[in-house]
Amino acid sequence: MSSFKNWSDNRHDYAREWKKKTGGKVLGYFCTYLPEEILYAADVLPVRIFGQHGSDIGISSAHIYDMYCPFSRSCLAEGLKGKYDYLDGVAIAQSCMHIRQAFWSWQKHLPVEYSYYIYMPHGVQSKGRYEYYRGELVEFKESLEKWLGRTISDADLDKGIDIVRKNKESMRKIWEFRKNDRPSITGLEAMEIVFSSQVTDKREHNEALEQLITELPDRKVDRETGTRLMIIGSEDDDREFTKMVEEGLSLPATFVIEDHCVGSRYFWNDFTPGEDRLASIARWYLDRPPCPSKDWPKRLRFSHIKNLIQEYKVEAAILMQQKFCDPHELDIPALKTYLDELDIPYYLIEFDVLVPAGQLKTRVEAFLETRVELV
Amino acid sequence: MAQSKDFRDWDQYRWTAPDTDWRKASIVSCGIDIGSISTQAVIMVDGQLYAYSNMRTGSNSPDSADKALSWALEDTDGLSQDDIQYIVGTGYGRINIPMAQRAITEIACHALGANFIYGPSVRTILDVGGQDVKVIQCDEKGKVINFLMNDKCAAGTGRGMEVMADLLSVPLVEIGQKSFEVDEEPEPVSSTCVVFGKSEALSLLRKGWSIEKVLAAYCRAMANRIVELIERLGVQREFAITGGQSKNIGVVKRIEMLLNIEAVKTEKYDPQIAGGIGAALFARALFEKSRKSGG
Repeated sequence: MSSFKNWSDNRHDYAREWKKKTGGKVLGYFCTYLPEEILYAADVLPVRIFGQHGSDIGISSAHIYDMYCPFSRSCLAEGLKGKYDYLDGVAIAQSCMHIRQAFWSWQKHLPVEYSYYIYMPHGVQSKGRYEYYRGELVEFKESLEKWLGRTISDADLDKGIDIVRKNKESMRKIWEFRKNDRPSITGLEAMEIVFSSQVTDKREHNEALEQLITELPDRKVDRETGTRLMIIGSEDDDREFTKMVEEGLSLPATFVIEDHCVGSRYFWNDFTPGEDRLASIARWYLDRPPCPSKDWPKRLRFSHIKNLIQEYKVEAAILMQQKFCDPHELDIPALKTYLDELDIPYYLIEFDVLVPAGQLKTRVEAFLETRVELV
Repeated sequence: MAQSKDFRDWDQYRWTAPDTDWRKASIVSCGIDIGSISTQAVIMVDGQLYAYSNMRTGSNSPDSADKALSWALEDTDGLSQDDIQYIVGTGYGRINIPMAQRAITEIACHALGANFIYGPSVRTILDVGGQDVKVIQCDEKGKVINFLMNDKCAAGTGRGMEVMADLLSVPLVEIGQKSFEVDEEPEPVSSTCVVFGKSEALSLLRKGWSIEKVLAAYCRAMANRIVELIERLGVQREFAITGGQSKNIGVVKRIEMLLNIEAVKTEKYDPQIAGGIGAALFARALFEKSRKSGG
């Protein structure tokens, strides 16, 4: 389990070391809609670009608006500070305007060998979406081939699909252990597993996941489970907050499941293989539990959230909305009504990487106090 | 000439119930509420208020707790810390109170304290503290049902009022009354951000506004901001105000006017110690529980 934490703590060192060891290229990506399978097929290491809690993001103010979400500003700030100086390329698959602006600014101010914008459709419920996105992936593959000076064959794609698929299936297996009355892994550990998956070579990550799967049946977590919490949110890689809730409050609580892209949303749906590899990849990304930015006109993920609540015996939810995340904020009133109908209490936190986690302590603790008898 | 720090000062005080013999009590409990500006130590005997202190919070939470408790224990006919059976800490400094056996949030403690002070009909509590504002809904037992807190900045809180006291050289305790010494209510200042509010107040003074008029504009802006928070949660009668700003009539009356609801009042208890009272009541219940379970 310590590998996942170490990788999460030292992601830049890992990527630099990987480059040195393999001589390969590293591509930074901005959103989990990016098809990592094709990058693994091309022997390029995809690493997700993250921000940093508590880090000064003022450096980004000259480039993108301060009323863009703190995550997008923080990602750009880390780049401008030189933390990602090892990247050979950057890419994004369209998700929301804020992170796209961070990408465009990165393209302009932090030039790298290769950059690519994938026209991932917003309308993941639209007719013709599969054909459209398959076409975009064909162009992305061709662009990579041009950059790398080599062809990406079907065999390469099978290799890439296999690596990513195995990774996601293993995490799904591990998540089963969070359903236990005493979950075998904490929310913090779960977050580190997914976070590290997005910043390391998945082949190495897969080995660690396999090892963990063998250990989990006998693993005892020496802590009280307390209130079984779910995070429903925008992008959320805030380990500091997660740790504070699970370890730093006077009442016990455990995040047993989440719906966001540094959690179950990253790997939840099954991959359906097919002769047309790119069509299969396109289908997987279009059919995954959607990000709020793509969850319209029908809100498909609400029923998914309901299933998670039931399967993981969730008792209360924390709605973690990145400040200024309009897609998620727009969903909040409907989500609250939905949770009311399910009789699931919730607490909304407007999250900002600049706010020390301690300031949120009283609010979360008071929310937990409403759930239990204090005497 | 008075130093600016004088204007934000407020009287620190202590009190002991005159006719209570703590030696006859079954349970002596205590609540210590360490807020960002003030600290209260409240001692209760068998669930009745016996003694308390209210003083400015220092830079060190354990030290503040120790000083407040020591002061509350003065003039208590020999009562010592060893005689207190259970102590609950609350407030932002609650995790750093060495003598406390348990920490409970100020939200839960203010709700229970308001229930004690104003009775079981209280359903909405506004606690305006030194650096935050909380709106709490509770049931007839003082159990929190829902709550909202302001976040991130100290706008609309006691700290902002302190800054204004310094800026305008008006003692903090006189601000409320002075804010009504105007011919007509002015428009509120455009922001209750402490820093921007200060800049705007200076600008208004240069324009020739009287100090009273600037205070009225600031109190109104603070009331507006607080009412926005209250209305997000909804207000139900009875409505009670606790915390230090409950004593600032300049803000309280404007909140009542905006909400069209009069807050319940009492002469019997100091609403600033509601959090400490709630903590002491929790302490009593927790001690009873531990006694029953043989703990």
